[in-house]
Amino acid sequence: MAMVDTGSVRLHVQRIGPRQGRPATATVVLVHGLLTDSLASYYFTVAPAFAAAGLDVVMYDLRGHGRSGRPAAGYTLDDNIDDLEALLDRLGVTGPVHLVGNSYGGTIAFGYAARHPERAASVSLVESEPATAAWAVKLGGILDRVMTQLAHHESDAIAWITANRGHNTARLAKGAARLARETSLGRDIPASRVLTDERMAAVRCPVLGLYGADSDLAELAPWLRAVLPDCRTVVIPGHEHSVLVEASGTVGGHILSLVEKAGRVAAEATG
Amino acid sequence: MTPPTPHTPVTADERSVLADLTGLLTRLLQDEYGLDDIEIDLQTTFNRDLELESIDLVTLAGLLQERYGDRVNFAEFLAGMEFDEIIELTVGRLVEYVVTSLKAAEAS
Repeated sequence: MAMVDTGSVRLHVQRIGPRQGRPATATVVLVHGLLTDSLASYYFTVAPAFAAAGLDVVMYDLRGHGRSGRPAAGYTLDDNIDDLEALLDRLGVTGPVHLVGNSYGGTIAFGYAARHPERAASVSLVESEPATAAWAVKLGGILDRVMTQLAHHESDAIAWITANRGHNTARLAKGAARLARETSLGRDIPASRVLTDERMAAVRCPVLGLYGADSDLAELAPWLRAVLPDCRTVVIPGHEHSVLVEASGTVGGHILSLVEKAGRVAAEATG
Repeated sequence: MTPPTPHTPVTADERSVLADLTGLLTRLLQDEYGLDDIEIDLQTTFNRDLELESIDLVTLAGLLQERYGDRVNFAEFLAGMEFDEIIELTVGRLVEYVVTSLKAAEAS
């Protein structure tokens, strides 16, 4: 298991590439979501196909999640972007990368692209959105419910989840409650610095927004296309927020087309 | 940390693969959860019986890679499954996959 020390936290990283040591055509960085998520959501879904398509695939666990370290503080969006920046630096990934983020992971991926537009070859947002004031309010509401119901009335909440959502979801919820209790994440994320429209529009690389048709986030698609210079959105019927895991073939296919197209455009521009 | 699995030769039959996997899972449960004496057989499920989370399966993928090299690709095996199948995954099903993969590698 590879651990990378960024200087402020030890991050668990998994990196897979094309078979038989063929050189990779580009690097894709996959960023997972909040609380119950980890790099496993990519490792067992789209990552093998990305590597087979010739990509260098970098996945990591966010601080506090999976096998990464869990410092008590430092969970704002900017802290997460700092971690991503330091990680790529330590891995020696200096050129532009294709960023993919699921849910909150997309907010991090987009934030990285807004901070360093020249280092982003493309951004794929799966059930995700850039950090706006409305986003911060919404996340604040969700985290407030997690903090009050799960972290402080855990046994009642877990009993309800076990009865209504099953054993597996209950176990994930216990992990989320522990993370919320042991760290400042619940206070830090809603207090994150958000992006202005100008800073969002500075992301000039191709952006793909992928949404489950039955998710609340699907209604963001027209706004995202309007605010970004080069954005396409795809709404996948019959799915909700967990579209990455439940329709990974479709999601992965759309991302690969974007990555390959952005690669061709970049090659024509330089060559 | 438990000592590494001894390097016995890899054999493509059910009994020795089950012994391999039992060793790897025992090591994982000890390292991550401090658990000893967990009984593992072909019917054991990763999710309900062993209470493994998906990130534990990433660790298991690394242990399988150490043991079998590129002959067995656990990530590709799981990537081909529906979510419900992963939840119901048994040690026996993985044994079967490992044996098939090892035989395919011998034949090629």
